[in-house]
Amino acid sequence: MTDRPDPLRVRDVRFTYPGAERPALDGVDLDVRPGECLALLGPNGAGKTTLIRTITGMRAPDTGTARVAGDDPRWATTRSRIGVMLQSTAFPSHLTVRELVEGAAARAGRTARDVDDVLAEVGLEDLATRRSHRLSGGQRRRLQLARALVVDPTLLVLDEPTEGLDAESRRATWDHLAARRDAGMAILLTTHLVAEAGEVADRVAVIADGRIVANASPEVLVDGLPDRTIHLATDVPLDQARSLSGVDHVTATAAEAGSRSTLSITTRHPEGILRSLLASDPDASDLRVVGASLEDAVLAITADHPTRDVVDRPGGADARPGGPSRRSPTGPATMPVATATTTTSAETAPTGTDRTPARLTDRTPA
Amino acid sequence: MSTSTTPLSAAPTTRRARSAGPGAMTLLALEVRDEMRIIRREPAALFFSVLMPVMFYMLFVALFGREMPTGASRPVGTFMLATFGTYGAIVATMMNPGISLATARENGWFENVRVSPVPVGVHLAAKVVATVPFVAGILVAMTAASAALGVLEVSVTEWLALMAALVIGSQSFALVGLVVGALASPNAATAILNAIIMPAAIASGLWFPLETMPAWVSTVATFLPTYHLAQLAATPLGGGPWMTHLLVLIAFTGVAGLAAAAAWRRADA
Repeated sequence: MTDRPDPLRVRDVRFTYPGAERPALDGVDLDVRPGECLALLGPNGAGKTTLIRTITGMRAPDTGTARVAGDDPRWATTRSRIGVMLQSTAFPSHLTVRELVEGAAARAGRTARDVDDVLAEVGLEDLATRRSHRLSGGQRRRLQLARALVVDPTLLVLDEPTEGLDAESRRATWDHLAARRDAGMAILLTTHLVAEAGEVADRVAVIADGRIVANASPEVLVDGLPDRTIHLATDVPLDQARSLSGVDHVTATAAEAGSRSTLSITTRHPEGILRSLLASDPDASDLRVVGASLEDAVLAITADHPTRDVVDRPGGADARPGGPSRRSPTGPATMPVATATTTTSAETAPTGTDRTPARLTDRTPA
Repeated sequence: MSTSTTPLSAAPTTRRARSAGPGAMTLLALEVRDEMRIIRREPAALFFSVLMPVMFYMLFVALFGREMPTGASRPVGTFMLATFGTYGAIVATMMNPGISLATARENGWFENVRVSPVPVGVHLAAKVVATVPFVAGILVAMTAASAALGVLEVSVTEWLALMAALVIGSQSFALVGLVVGALASPNAATAILNAIIMPAAIASGLWFPLETMPAWVSTVATFLPTYHLAQLAATPLGGGPWMTHLLVLIAFTGVAGLAAAAAWRRADA
């Protein structure tokens, strides 16, 4: 039906590291369509890095297929259509910005004609003759982006692209990419900043235990989490708030003697709880009711999947089950972004099916 | 999946058009150009890897180079072009690619190479090829020093044969550098490669003639590829039969190639 294959199509990819007991990738399916931005989220050790390595041609899967624009990324020619921004910002020293960008274009069979445009696009036009080892962290990031964009990629793979960038540069980066997406470039993004993923991605895929356990728009993922959190300053004691029907979880921010404490009450029925609270304490103040964030949703999804231990590997963190990992106890999934929310989610782990991720997949019909 | 446009069923014309990237030779040329730029722009490194062996040669020529070996028609200094030339050539071919690979693996640049359209083999080959001008530079500088010290007695043909033996023959030693670079950190790679080069140089008679050392060293020497490279390079200056030396070097290249492949598989796992 289509004359152009999808920028990315991953089908039933499985991969087990030599000597590992459990697979790092356990039947992954993933698509990214032209112009689409897909954020791949998941705890450390869930398989993100292994999947990125498979998609960028660094690794062949044991079984299954990964195709970029219809071709195997293990072929060098396929890789000329992938723009990749990896976490490491190292460059060979002594090469200039222009040489590095021209080099990337030439290796992909592109003419050097577009180099000036791309340098301007990422804001490096004034640093074209600077040698890479004299660049700041943010400038190195932009150089990476320029090298990825100069090949006019079908698929742009961004592995933690805005790490080390300030808010302004981060926004600027996504502004540049918006125009490219309008022109049909697809983006696969991994990031620890779940909020950023929610802002820029059309779709969020959550990977846990080597499987894609949710794949939907950020809105759909958040809607799947009915929790609301009520914050208010009140005289109502913690125990009384806990005893209200429909309350999942309460935390109290310690108050100074004599003053009111601030309660944070997690519930799926905020209206009833609020009525009871205000009846008990009409003077309650600083009232806020907030819905679940994408971060909460991702944590809830991954909490249902016992994670494996994480062993840092050179060149990227990924799960290497077996070996040294047996010595450490298996803990709950932790997103690096997790704050106190982690505890909350774990304590209030739902017994019902409301958070079952299976319902959260809204694959667009092909 | 319902859309069954499998990659391989794409129209052949489209496929050919899309696959038409730069050829392997173009990629190699691009890679070599960058390697050369990096080498050239690091004058300190250039200074040490070219000048050190040459100064070493000059020192030894000043001490022993004017002697005439029994039965030979030219001074020892000319023969030392083969032995010290071997030393300079293997330092350049082993150290540069090995340390550069170890560094790229450690700082993460190598991952960028692997996701680039350049096959890893081409990238590594470029590191090796980029040592050729280096080796040639060392040998030319040594020859100039030899002439300046008045110990150079060699015809153009003989000299070209010696150059060819060293430039081509030393390339297989780059494989050893790549083995170490694929497995060790940059600091460890430097130490390991020095630990290989120094004893091999002494035991192969690259610095002091084997006749001045205990007899067992000569026995050890016959097992060392460095010895055979020096002997092969000395052939045009009136050495003995060269076929054995060539065969040993070819066998060494094969073994080093297998070791490099194994090291790569291990680093890649």
